Amino acid sequence: MLLLGFLFNLLAGCATFRQMEMPSLPEGLPASHELTEVPFFSQEKYQCGPAALAMAISWSGLPARSEDLVPEVYTPSRKGSLQVAIIAAARRHGRLAYEISDLESLFPEIAAGYPVIILQNLGVSWFPVWHYAVVVGYDAARQEVMLRSGTTFRKIMPFGVFEKTWARSNYWGIIILQPTQLPALPEEKAYLSAVLGLEKAHRFEAAVSGYRTALTRWPQSLAARMGLGNSYYAFGDLENSEYAFRETIRLHPRAGSAYNNLAQILMERGRYAEAREMARKAVSLGGPLQAVYRQTLKEIESKMSQ
Amino acid sequence: MNVIRKTLKPMSISLAVIMFLIVAPVHSVLAVMIGTEAIMDSVRGQEAREHLRQFLARQDVQKAFIAQGIDPVEARARIDSLSDDEVIRIADQIDRLPAGGGVIEFLLVIILVAFIVLVITDLTGATDVFPFIKSQR
Repeated sequence: MLLLGFLFNLLAGCATFRQMEMPSLPEGLPASHELTEVPFFSQEKYQCGPAALAMAISWSGLPARSEDLVPEVYTPSRKGSLQVAIIAAARRHGRLAYEISDLESLFPEIAAGYPVIILQNLGVSWFPVWHYAVVVGYDAARQEVMLRSGTTFRKIMPFGVFEKTWARSNYWGIIILQPTQLPALPEEKAYLSAVLGLEKAHRFEAAVSGYRTALTRWPQSLAARMGLGNSYYAFGDLENSEYAFRETIRLHPRAGSAYNNLAQILMERGRYAEAREMARKAVSLGGPLQAVYRQTLKEIESKMSQ
Repeated sequence: MNVIRKTLKPMSISLAVIMFLIVAPVHSVLAVMIGTEAIMDSVRGQEAREHLRQFLARQDVQKAFIAQGIDPVEARARIDSLSDDEVIRIADQIDRLPAGGGVIEFLLVIILVAFIVLVITDLTGATDVFPFIKSQR
């Protein structure tokens, strides 16, 4: 069965051919673009991760220094930085770490003004040398990519070489966004995942901002609206939280969780009768979380009988 | 020894009770808010199921099931009882199928259907291949 999985991956890999030439750019994109003002932080030994993140975070409007990020990002025992550590650090600074994972996504993001932190293997497959660099420009005519990398302020890589070294990380890249910003090619799941990351890092005000941004693009997103309500709740803004959940049930009348969470808020605001009505509605809608809804209803009823 | 034990045991029980009373909140607020992550997971699960349903409705997929001796209707019923995790896993594989109907896609569909068949039979306990599938027997 491992065999099946292996075969599948092998064939799926064959179906996408290796790009030696820059892919043709989508309409409207300039043939070349460079973000010349992206700051440069030269890396200390092994610390390309902190340096790359410092550059991208500074570019996003939050002055950051490589040294300050080292304890958050760098893992001494591994002599390097884990991708998850870079993402977590970005979140702790109230920034979205939006993941891209294919070649074509790179150029629209650069053209839109977002440098891309990438992970590339500068060695060979059997002796990898993993390295984080920041892509700041591309030139289709010369088939080149420009990066801030290591101790080089402006490193120029021929596209073929760049693609090969980047392919080894499956084209892993992140752009650092303010929660009021959307990437050039916004993908709902990836964006919501990034905002959820802010919520989990307890950056609730940034999460509120992120969910609001998500709703401008995907106004029908149940998850974004629930996230908004939950984030307001998390830092004590019951009024806006209540409003968010009321909007949620208006737009998603069968979302039991929205009624449940609204019930909780109404209870905390002392409006027990309405809270009970909402909790009952949640219970009646059922679903896998019905036990939680019952719990909410029970709590409200016990408050009412006090 | 016994004397010590005899006094220590009731003492420790009372201590435990007192500690519980101190730390247990008088007004207990249970965490009954449904978290955003739970919502996202459930939305993802539902979208994956819809994806899977569309996949099963394809002619070539149904043929592949029949070729492996599984009635597509039965397959559909069994798949409905898969957990969100399992469905998402399969839906991700479906996403990676190339479009265009070439030979590679044909082969990939067969392999994917074989995989799904194994997931289904693991479910009934007829096979026990995947550790992440718990047999319903």
